[in-house]
Amino acid sequence: MKKILIIEDEETISKELAEALKNAGYNPLILENFKNALEEIKIYNPDLILLDINIPYMNGEILLQNLRKTSNIPVIMVTSRKTEADELISITYGADDYITKPYNPSILLLRINNIFRRLNEFNDTIKYKDIIVNLSKCCIIKGNLEILLTKNEILILTYFLSHREVIVTRDELMTTLWNNNLYINDNALTVNISRLRSKLREVGLENAIETRKGYGYYLR
Amino acid sequence: MKFRNYLKDKISFSVIYFVMILMIFLLMMAFKIDISLSLVILLILIVTYIIIILLDYFRKKNFYAKLFSNISLLDKSYLVLEMLNEPCFYEGRLLYQALYDINKSMCENVNFYKTSMNDFKEYIEMWIHEVKIPISSLVLMLHNHKNKNDKRILEQVKRIENYVEQVLYYARSEDANKDYLIKETSLAKVIHEVALKNKDDLLEQNINLQVNNVEFKVYTDSKWLEFIINQIINNSIKYKKDDGSSFIRIEAYDEKERITLAIIDNGIGVPLSDIPKVFDKTFTGENGRIKHQSTGMGLFIVKNLCEKLGHQITLESVKDEYTKVNITFNKHKFYDVVK
Repeated sequence: MKKILIIEDEETISKELAEALKNAGYNPLILENFKNALEEIKIYNPDLILLDINIPYMNGEILLQNLRKTSNIPVIMVTSRKTEADELISITYGADDYITKPYNPSILLLRINNIFRRLNEFNDTIKYKDIIVNLSKCCIIKGNLEILLTKNEILILTYFLSHREVIVTRDELMTTLWNNNLYINDNALTVNISRLRSKLREVGLENAIETRKGYGYYLR
Repeated sequence: MKFRNYLKDKISFSVIYFVMILMIFLLMMAFKIDISLSLVILLILIVTYIIIILLDYFRKKNFYAKLFSNISLLDKSYLVLEMLNEPCFYEGRLLYQALYDINKSMCENVNFYKTSMNDFKEYIEMWIHEVKIPISSLVLMLHNHKNKNDKRILEQVKRIENYVEQVLYYARSEDANKDYLIKETSLAKVIHEVALKNKDDLLEQNINLQVNNVEFKVYTDSKWLEFIINQIINNSIKYKKDDGSSFIRIEAYDEKERITLAIIDNGIGVPLSDIPKVFDKTFTGENGRIKHQSTGMGLFIVKNLCEKLGHQITLESVKDEYTKVNITFNKHKFYDVVK
């Protein structure tokens, strides 16, 4: 499980954020001792840091600058300050992403996911049961059978594949699609999922995507 | 300073003076002084008087003429004293001193309000950052503890968030200070941020969002532009038609000298008589009366921000058919050189 360190002095936010991260399958840690933030970070040794700009003792930007001297841990800056200059400073100091409060939690989770994916040199092909999903060619392959998927379908399928064993909500799928500049509506999502189902059926995966009424979908 | 008016002002002195001359003349006649001598004395008295009057007039005229011409030349006329020498006549010096004191006290007064305005603005900015913390907490809580009231609560929280943003940008747009940073910005990226922000609303209200051909680079402050587009989209959502086939189309055109971004919706539109006033402060118009949620500030702030950034914004609409907002970004050779 990926460790995510939350550096945020507002207790309510850090607690709720930790819960949201936990629900999304991460291991959240909350920094409590701001005085020796740099040493603490080394002890926690997280995979990613969510860093607020307004933190006690040391401004978040300065902390980031100091951290970058010794470490390459991915950092997402989280702040309620919203000016172009703030963003520019954070990015120059080496932040991987920048998100302003109040943020949509699903978007924050998506950004975290994106950073991890970038780091893992995301594989071009994913194996799922006895089929291969080829992301660059946008198709699913079983033996000699090759079925092309649309951009929407491949995005939905990869999201399912990276969230196996958990229920995927329609909202999460929607956020993923919208995040890729595909501004589709509710009906279109339903159509896309049923198309994906029938294409999976063609390669012999009957009922791969289950509907959990009132919750979302589940990839078996 | 007109000579005639100056003379009118001196009329009482002149009358007394001439009565005195007349009396002297009559006295001289009574004492049987030689008539030619009396006439010469009379002439001397009159000529002296005229010389005194003329001298005084030109001395004052110099000062006042300079004063008034400077006032009309300066765009900040209260600075006029900086351009005048202290006059050489007594009344002028008094006036100069009085103006100096008045000016000084007014400057102090203006400064007082300036500082208190700045303090207030700083407080507002700080307050907005503070209030965003509980809003963020609320959004996170709603995300974590899902129940059936969720969507309605989230909607209200988003309204609060939107109003808070409006205050922030109003405070920024009213200030002469430069709070923005103009750099090359991807139009598509800004639109993407706005789309994501309004995703839930658009889906909930069943509005189709179509984004075509927006892959342009423009020179702007991306955060300000995000606010501007967000306000326009919010209006499109607020004033949509209730017939279930609503859309918002965003597209951009590259015209030689400029890039135009158009945001088009098929909402209830704006009545022709209201169009010239939509960017006015606190103007709510007919649509505002229908929807009741209008403060008349959104588009006013948008217009202000556009002016500061140097973009033109126009609105065209046909009632019950469509509303189209155009934002024009100038291309400038200067930027190409700087690049």
